[in-house]
Amino acid sequence: MAEKNIYKPIKYKVDKIVTETPLIKTFFISAEKEFEFKTGQFVEVTLDGIGEAPYTPSSSPYVKNKMELTIMNAGYVTGKMHELKGGETIGIRGPYGKGYPIEKFYGKEILILGGGVGLAPLRCLILTLLKEEDKFKKIYICFGAKTPSDFIYKDWFDELKKHKNVELLRSVDEADANWNETEGVVTVLLDKIEIDFIETVAIVCGPPIMMKFGAKRLLELGAKEENIYLSMETNMSCGLGKCGHCAMDGLYVCKDGPVFTYDEIKDTTEMIEFRSYFEKK
Amino acid sequence: MRTYSVSLKQWVKILSLVSAKYNVFAPLLRQDFPDYELLSDDNVDLITFNKTKPTTPLKAFFFPIKENVVKEQKNKKRVIVGIPSCDLSALNLLDKIFLDEDFLDTYYKEKRDNTILIGSDCYEIDNNCHCTSYGVNPYPEKNCDISYSLIDHKITLQVHTKKGEKFLSEFSTELIEIDGIPIGIEEKRQKIIEELKLQNKELPDTEETRKMLLKEGSVIWKKYAKDCVSCGACAVICPSCHCFLLIDKANFEKVKNWDACQYPAFERVAGDEDPLEKIYNRLKNRYLCKFVHKPDMFGEIACTGCGRCIDACIGKINKNELIIEACK
Repeated sequence: MAEKNIYKPIKYKVDKIVTETPLIKTFFISAEKEFEFKTGQFVEVTLDGIGEAPYTPSSSPYVKNKMELTIMNAGYVTGKMHELKGGETIGIRGPYGKGYPIEKFYGKEILILGGGVGLAPLRCLILTLLKEEDKFKKIYICFGAKTPSDFIYKDWFDELKKHKNVELLRSVDEADANWNETEGVVTVLLDKIEIDFIETVAIVCGPPIMMKFGAKRLLELGAKEENIYLSMETNMSCGLGKCGHCAMDGLYVCKDGPVFTYDEIKDTTEMIEFRSYFEKK
Repeated sequence: MRTYSVSLKQWVKILSLVSAKYNVFAPLLRQDFPDYELLSDDNVDLITFNKTKPTTPLKAFFFPIKENVVKEQKNKKRVIVGIPSCDLSALNLLDKIFLDEDFLDTYYKEKRDNTILIGSDCYEIDNNCHCTSYGVNPYPEKNCDISYSLIDHKITLQVHTKKGEKFLSEFSTELIEIDGIPIGIEEKRQKIIEELKLQNKELPDTEETRKMLLKEGSVIWKKYAKDCVSCGACAVICPSCHCFLLIDKANFEKVKNWDACQYPAFERVAGDEDPLEKIYNRLKNRYLCKFVHKPDMFGEIACTGCGRCIDACIGKINKNELIIEACK
């Protein structure tokens, strides 16, 4: 066949697996061929004969022959992922979807709001931003987790703090005796930063409910709908805009997303339902 | 567009000749309903002309129920004869999805390229046929290489594409070129259009349907969903429904398998969140997909008025009754 087979994965080797939390592991994978992707795009990962699922790489797109995937054990395929020991061959298709429009962020204050395993795609974004750190006015990073031990990338935070243009704040829902940062849901961090919400670009990634509340709070603080970027999570099979699984009304999350601005998705059934639920309360 | 005339006897002979070189599928009448079968000398007598749509939608030829999409494909050249206009119209949408330049589905494309499509006028209508309500005429106008109609023991062939012209020249030297289609066919077409309009006089057009479905709250979906058993027959039998699931097989092979948004868990994600958990939401999703979202996304309505979903529904949900009620 002369034309490329869109369904056929390319093979990657699992080099190393790091346990981040009891439920989350990072898989270091490599291939002989270089792989190009933009931050915010995702790949479909195949476990041979078992299944396939979409993930956004957590590593930098500037590294082209290796990739890192941070995956939470949350279902069938991810459960099988977590059983890997290293040395196995897995399949990758992609990259799919639209990335973050980084050029649009130049000269602005960037606010990154992340929770739980949502830090994975955000790590890819942050690594991309830091490659040209001076192009942004300032990068505020607000990360949340359930408890201090639920944070992934524990070694990374000290490194982030070294960057002059970066301000990192963290919160946990339930603190322990050693925790000396913020306690509370991640959105409380928004009240702690000195930022011009009207001009800022805000990028939110985390559990669906956290993203919705995050967007809601950002809007209350004055952020513009077209400047709030959300990563949508849906059931997905092909990643190619064909199989229909990821449809969110008239949008395919795989092709039109997975990153959407708030104004692109505010009229979808999912967002309308969220708002109406809140209005009732 | 060239038009030819050939006797019925001669046409059947041509089809026999063709079937030696191609896989020819034609609608045969074994019971009440015609359906496509591989033509051979043994069954050529059962071929029907200008009946209503075959049971199987055309999509199944290009988008099979199950297909390994990693293994190399071997497609024999095919001719599909007797395709109704509603099924040909559905290719508008399917082509946009599977021949999308960003992600070309070569499995679909090779089958499309290797197939000669011969459409057919409908000279009969079923109880649930309603193509004209959605802007589709009951005779092929596009998306086929050749179309035919049988009148007075003579087949009139209209050639729509160069591919069709080349194909015909390969098999017959006995075609008589005629000037336009016979008046008898024109009259027949008008008569069928009138019948369809009469049968569906209460059914609103696509624009009105879109407008009213968007306004619907949950009452109508809940009412009709009571009879839905999530069997997915409506999607399986639909010429426009294209949803599928990739199933993984050993050696990184994948099987593209028909799926349906009426099945439970179609949109369920890890952690058990499911936006389409409720049957009435799945039913609503189906209708909005067809009349609102697909037009928004692809500029094509995802219903061609074939009526198969009404015929197939175990719960006897009548799509047209639902739409008429929604538009009241």
